[in-house]
Amino acid sequence: MKPSAFDYERPADLDGLIALTRREDLFVKMLAGGQSLGPMLNLRLVQPDLLVDITAIPELKRVEETADAVILGACVTHADIEDGRVPDATGGALPRVACGIAYRAVRNRGTIGGSLVHADPAADWISCLAAIDAEAMILGPSGRRAIPIDEFMTGVFQVALEPGELVEAVRIPRLSLGARWGFHKISRKTGEMAQAIGAILHDPARDVLRAVIGATESVPIVFSGAAPLFSGSPGSGLAKAFDASAAVRALEDSGITDAVDRQLHLVALKRAIDQAARP
Amino acid sequence: MKRINITVNGKAVSASVEPRMQLADFLRESLNLTGTHLGCEHGVCGACTLLVDGTPIRSCITLAVACEGARVTTVEGLDEDLIAGELRAAFSREHALQCGYCTPGMLISARDTVMRMPDANERDIRVAMSGNLCRCTGYVGIVRAIQSVITERKAKGLSSPPSPRAEFGPAGSGRARPTAVGAVAAAPAAARAARRPGPAGAADRAPEARRVAEPGVGKPQTTLHESFTVDYPRAKVWAFFGRLGDVATCLPGTSLLGTPTDEHVETRIRIKVGPIVSEFDGAADVVRDASSFSGVIRGSAHDARSRSATRGEIQYVLIEDENGAATRVEVDVGFTLTGPLAQFSRSSIVHDIAWRMTDAFARNLRARLNRGNGSARADSTAGASISEINAAPLILSVIWNRIKTFFRSLLGR
Repeated sequence: MKPSAFDYERPADLDGLIALTRREDLFVKMLAGGQSLGPMLNLRLVQPDLLVDITAIPELKRVEETADAVILGACVTHADIEDGRVPDATGGALPRVACGIAYRAVRNRGTIGGSLVHADPAADWISCLAAIDAEAMILGPSGRRAIPIDEFMTGVFQVALEPGELVEAVRIPRLSLGARWGFHKISRKTGEMAQAIGAILHDPARDVLRAVIGATESVPIVFSGAAPLFSGSPGSGLAKAFDASAAVRALEDSGITDAVDRQLHLVALKRAIDQAARP
Repeated sequence: MKRINITVNGKAVSASVEPRMQLADFLRESLNLTGTHLGCEHGVCGACTLLVDGTPIRSCITLAVACEGARVTTVEGLDEDLIAGELRAAFSREHALQCGYCTPGMLISARDTVMRMPDANERDIRVAMSGNLCRCTGYVGIVRAIQSVITERKAKGLSSPPSPRAEFGPAGSGRARPTAVGAVAAAPAAARAARRPGPAGAADRAPEARRVAEPGVGKPQTTLHESFTVDYPRAKVWAFFGRLGDVATCLPGTSLLGTPTDEHVETRIRIKVGPIVSEFDGAADVVRDASSFSGVIRGSAHDARSRSATRGEIQYVLIEDENGAATRVEVDVGFTLTGPLAQFSRSSIVHDIAWRMTDAFARNLRARLNRGNGSARADSTAGASISEINAAPLILSVIWNRIKTFFRSLLGR
């Protein structure tokens, strides 16, 4: 169980990084914390010619606060978020999700950007950040652009990055003080990949009600306007107003027909909603 | 080879390492520090957990070269550490180890738990230690040992040292110096060809003995059902299904190895999912029953690169539709994957990939049937052959829409 041979570089700046990722004669793979890529390399499922370590680039560890958002560099780790070393604008949602990712030894190296780009359906950030309506800030040969997280993942291990592009940072919108959120994942064992994820954000002051059913077989199911999941006004009490029928339809439309699988996802969503409704 | 300079248990170490060498292997093989144990080697069991820049990491999935400038502490380096000493005594007292294989990783994670969670109860400890597996003790002694150290420290009013990390980013990466970019040579052409055999590489390969499809064993892990209708009489569709090579190459990424017969075909199937590229070489045998218009294709294949293998079965039956003007094709796919790809993948991911392949197979089959029958019918949804399943991002909803459009076009609605 040793990786196949590859070359390794650690560029100092973004220009150097982009120059390397544009190499067409090599299979170039970027490395951040390596907590998903490492096992794939050891199992020789991924056999790159060149690994480009992006952790020496200061811009990718940048943390910035604006009036309406917090911007976290791609190389910020789950533990950085869990420990509150980076600012939180989500009323504790992000640190709570971070502390449930894998194990502490993994969280000390695994990064938010790396997790998004790896695009494992069962990972936490892709579902959590889709519920919060975060954006991937992308840098490439033709400049910068941003993609909402719910459009970023396009399939298992596949994202909407063009050749030579990378995720530079994640922009997390600042939630209102009265915002309510819930995140629940079901795993066979603590720290293992999720079998089902439910996530909800209700931020009436910004007119936001979003829900996510994650850890499906492919991209998470995102309800950007989640009102159909509730009968009557969700303001009267999210948990009481939850109506599972719209969620069941969405699960069936996504090809989740197995009754146990469907029930797991419904329970995860229900528990997330219960959590958001708790005083 | 790359030069690294790191500090191991307080001593400066400078060495040349292969980029692919994981930190655990460097410590064990180059420095003879065998206190760090390797278990699963893919970040699950926790046996290799050690400290980098004062925080626990998995040394089996952390490259040595990525730890340039970092401070590494193994279990050998904790002899004088106060908390580790208390834990060692507690582990002995509480029978928190038997064979000792997991113990170095356990001690590192336990020390981190004691330091970070001074108020932890039993449940907190179990959650915090869930990334370290033990096969002997049933964890009771381990949890009790950690609990007792936390309780003692609390009773003595001992506070934990402050968090050792101030900078952001992966532990160990804080002081890494950039390498000089531009020095990367192109990989030797021969090495690249060996690693990524394309169609050209296939031609170079020495002819092998006839591959034999291995029989399926037991219940398949993954089963899928697909049904689609083509507007040709059943006899024509039946004849097409008799041409095994044509049917096989409808599977995306499939090329033929050698000339197929009516009952036997040898293929290479290239599957690319994100950074994973697999090439399965294998063989399939078909048994057809003309009286029921059904067939069973049994096949097995092997990916030499990842040493993964798969075996499976495709059953099909052709049913007359629209008073004989059309034919409904019912396909049942069942297969089992073994080896590293199976070890890594979870069933849902395999299911999604198989689903996408089956869907692409159905569309390619339909396109080829139309071509093969000289059909002038324009069908934008099934006209293009899909050569690789990642050719376009296949989102399930997109596929469903295509299927709906395809049925609408079929039924003229």
